[in-house]
Amino acid sequence: MSDLAFSAIVNGRKISRTAKPSQRLLDFIRDDLNLTGNKEGCGAGECGTCSVFVDGVLMKSCLLPVAKVQGARIDTIESLAKTGELSVLQKAFHKAGASQCGYCIPGMVMAATAALRINPFADREEIKERLGGNICRCTGYQKIFDAVELARDVQNGHLPVTMLDGIDAEQGDYIGKNVSRIDAPSKVSGRLKYAGDMLMPDMLHVHVLRSPHAHAKILSIDTSAAEAMEGVEGVITCADVPGEDGFGVFVHDQPVMARDKVRYVGEAVAAVAAEDPVLARQAAAAIKVVYEPLPALFNAEDALKPGAPVIHDYAPDNVTKHIPIRVGDVEKGFAESDLVIEEHYDTQAIEHAYLEPEAGLAYVDHDGVVVVISPSQNITHHRHMLAKIIAKPIAKVRFIMSPVGGGFGGKEDMIYQGMLALLAMKTGRPVRLVFTREESIASTAKRHPSKTTLRMGFMRDGRIRAVAFKMISDGGAYGLSTEGVMRKAAILGAGPYVIPNLQMDTIGVYTNNTPSGAFRSFGALQTQFATETHLDIACERLGLDPFEIRRINMMRDGATTHTKQKLKSVSIGRVLDAAEKASGWEKGVSGQRYGRGDLGGEGLRPAVALGARFAADTKQEAAE
Amino acid sequence: MLTCDEYLTPATLADAFAAMAAHRGRYRIVAGATDTLPWAREGRAGDVHIPVLIDVAKIPELNERHVDERRVRLGAATAIQRFLDDAALARALPALPRCAVWFADDQIRAQATIGGNIVNASPAADVNPCLIAHEAVVEIVSASGKRTLPLHDFLLGPGKTALKEGELLTAIECDALPGYGGSFEKVGHRRSLVISLACLAFSVRLDADGRVIEDARIGLAGVCPVPVRLRSVEGFLRGKKLSEELLEEAADMPLDLVQSRTRQEYRRDILRGFMMRGLITAAKRAGADPAVLSSELEAAYV
Ligand SMILES: Cc1cc2nc3c(=O)[nH]c(=O)nc-3n(C[C@H](O)[C@H](O)[C@H](O)COP(=O)(O)OP(=O)(O)OC[C@H]3O[C@@H](n4cnc5c(N)ncnc54)[C@H](O)[C@@H]3O)c2cc1C
Repeated sequence: MSDLAFSAIVNGRKISRTAKPSQRLLDFIRDDLNLTGNKEGCGAGECGTCSVFVDGVLMKSCLLPVAKVQGARIDTIESLAKTGELSVLQKAFHKAGASQCGYCIPGMVMAATAALRINPFADREEIKERLGGNICRCTGYQKIFDAVELARDVQNGHLPVTMLDGIDAEQGDYIGKNVSRIDAPSKVSGRLKYAGDMLMPDMLHVHVLRSPHAHAKILSIDTSAAEAMEGVEGVITCADVPGEDGFGVFVHDQPVMARDKVRYVGEAVAAVAAEDPVLARQAAAAIKVVYEPLPALFNAEDALKPGAPVIHDYAPDNVTKHIPIRVGDVEKGFAESDLVIEEHYDTQAIEHAYLEPEAGLAYVDHDGVVVVISPSQNITHHRHMLAKIIAKPIAKVRFIMSPVGGGFGGKEDMIYQGMLALLAMKTGRPVRLVFTREESIASTAKRHPSKTTLRMGFMRDGRIRAVAFKMISDGGAYGLSTEGVMRKAAILGAGPYVIPNLQMDTIGVYTNNTPSGAFRSFGALQTQFATETHLDIACERLGLDPFEIRRINMMRDGATTHTKQKLKSVSIGRVLDAAEKASGWEKGVSGQRYGRGDLGGEGLRPAVALGARFAADTKQEAAE
Repeated sequence: MLTCDEYLTPATLADAFAAMAAHRGRYRIVAGATDTLPWAREGRAGDVHIPVLIDVAKIPELNERHVDERRVRLGAATAIQRFLDDAALARALPALPRCAVWFADDQIRAQATIGGNIVNASPAADVNPCLIAHEAVVEIVSASGKRTLPLHDFLLGPGKTALKEGELLTAIECDALPGYGGSFEKVGHRRSLVISLACLAFSVRLDADGRVIEDARIGLAGVCPVPVRLRSVEGFLRGKKLSEELLEEAADMPLDLVQSRTRQEYRRDILRGFMMRGLITAAKRAGADPAVLSSELEAAYV
């Protein structure tokens, strides 16, 4: 290996170092210079968290071999607020509330800075266009565009600088009150340290070996070659777990690393701690695992069939959790109905796609306390589970929550913290694990895919008489939050409506897919998609306005739900009124007034308008 | 993850060939590296170790740019962004600036090269259909000599080219088409950073009155293994009077070319729509008589 003698001007300072030939500019600035403001969100040029200036041109530092920028002038996010004073754009991001989790923000601020340098008068369309290479998962972008427009107007003197001042404290405590984010300055400047930005003296780097099989018996694991490599300080498998090996939000059915068999592609099988991340990868690749593939299940219906392969011994029917709720007599209710409608609704797995891939550090402190730092959304529960797993009293386990670069439910599961703790204990050194984007997608929870059969009986006037609701959800290989999601689905799925006869079944099922888990709305989305769509269909059949059918059936103050909760106040009536007004709703029966343009209805545009027109094209025109 | 033992940045073509000879069988060429780095990741090639990477992006011969009224010569390491900031190039290659705004994003365009786009030989590469329509010829050089090949003979299939070990793509030469109106139509899942599901490049020249199509050049990609030039459509249009009916007829002609494994029907729909929109826009930019292309037609497609 021949190292490079590398020099460049970084944030105005000349630096000369040796760099490794395979290093990317991103690795160099983050690992060698400890400039961690710019992040790695995808490593493939797709997300823009790593955007920096190279000789004044914005570029993605994850796509740049460091040798390419030999002698160049490089400016990272840290260059914008060098003296501690935020730039106009950074202040505008703070003012507009444009930073939420903050992980995309350093790159976003860089892209916005580039946009206003190229065109100080860029309009919103051009701003969108120039920020096209940077992804944000939290904001929906509007506040980011607001911030760039605010900065533009202040820079151009169209708005006073005082517009960048903090927002005035509003009186009172209520939902929707404007508050200034106290963490915004640290986010817009890149100073906030996420777990993957943190360093500890003497720290080792972790890499996880993952299963290539959806369902297979593990016949043997041979770690000797990996252990023999110089610089490899620790290798762990399930054999290194001293306590009760299981975690999960409800059932503790998932081992820290696969035990006896693997149940999904991407499941952790072994982990390595080594002096550098490349070595850790190479060592993991040197672990030999012999598998015997087993028949695998890829959808929930197959898993429920008699004689289907069994994924967990404790659940011979592959059912993770079934929540049945019965109110009244549905068959009688259907018999009394004037109209019965039955439909099927499917939803798919969805990735949370937070910009921060999972990362964490662990160490054993001077008192023998095992400390895990990670963006966990559930540290107290993790702490209790980990104490059992590593067989230590709870006082000897500590969890520290690092800033969460987006979670949306996806960081509730203790999917890697156990491995970190075990490696810190085994090596006696601090360890750090940073997931790649691919690893994050392959190994962590998704939103539950669902298949719902919904039957509703209506009276001619629109009143619901009976509902039979059955949702089968693919919970994937492990329980994680499935039980809770099924409960929430059963509680919320029938909607805020008075239903005299109800039969509700939500069934979470084990398969060999990536585990499903918590995801914003926790089961309500899948079920309410079915219920609300069903009501719209009923409107068409009954000749009712969609708002009307909901008003006819809605619960009112004092109602008791099908799960026996007494509701002191019910707001759906007010919500409907507000939505009707705000949307400029034209009263009438749905589905009968307009054709769906994108589905080739009458008098519509041919399939061509999808690649929307963009400002750059008009500008091109003007330039000619 | 892509790892290497050595990363070389030869300053001259001669140095590059010397490095290639010294590391025969152990090297790989990179230019912008925007295809190479994402390729060496999980789910694609995985971890890849290449002993020697030879970066040709800074070699002067590969950064040449020469434009006259008839021909354009571009070094293989020309970055895509140049189509947007070099007015002479934009004039000679009217479809390419419009292709470039659709290409990746501002940041990647500054780094990605035309040579990399060509040699990577993705069926969805956006530059190739433009260059094919300009009768592009690629210049291939090795330590022992030089050869040229029409671009459509150089591209053999997805990821396959006629490039041999020890050879570099040094330049592209193609027709300059000043006075043509250009357009580029592309669709993918989103506006930026997107692989084409289908893309089409158009260059159209009209007579002085803006009523007769004197020449049309159309390149298609994304729906077939290699980009194709729609010669039969071009022949059909050449010399004909511009009219709505003519364009509608032309738009139906290439639909059978869709060979993609997925979303065939959608791609055919979009291809027809793009044929209309691309031809209308290119004709307008070539100075079409406003009376010929009705505003209703434009409203429907553009
Ligand atoms: C996020 C993202 C978005 C993208 N969007 C688009 C898009 O919208 N449209 C599109 O078409 N592409 C897109 N791409 C793909 C890529 O950027 C282009 O194909 C680009 O033109 C490749 O050029 P490069 O110089 O970066 O290639 P490199 O990675 O340097 O090289 C690609 C291949 O060509 C070979 N090669 C390069 N130059 C030479 C030469 N002179 N002689 C011999 N061999 C050579 C290399 O050995 C390698 O095999 C995108 C890529 C990313 C990461």
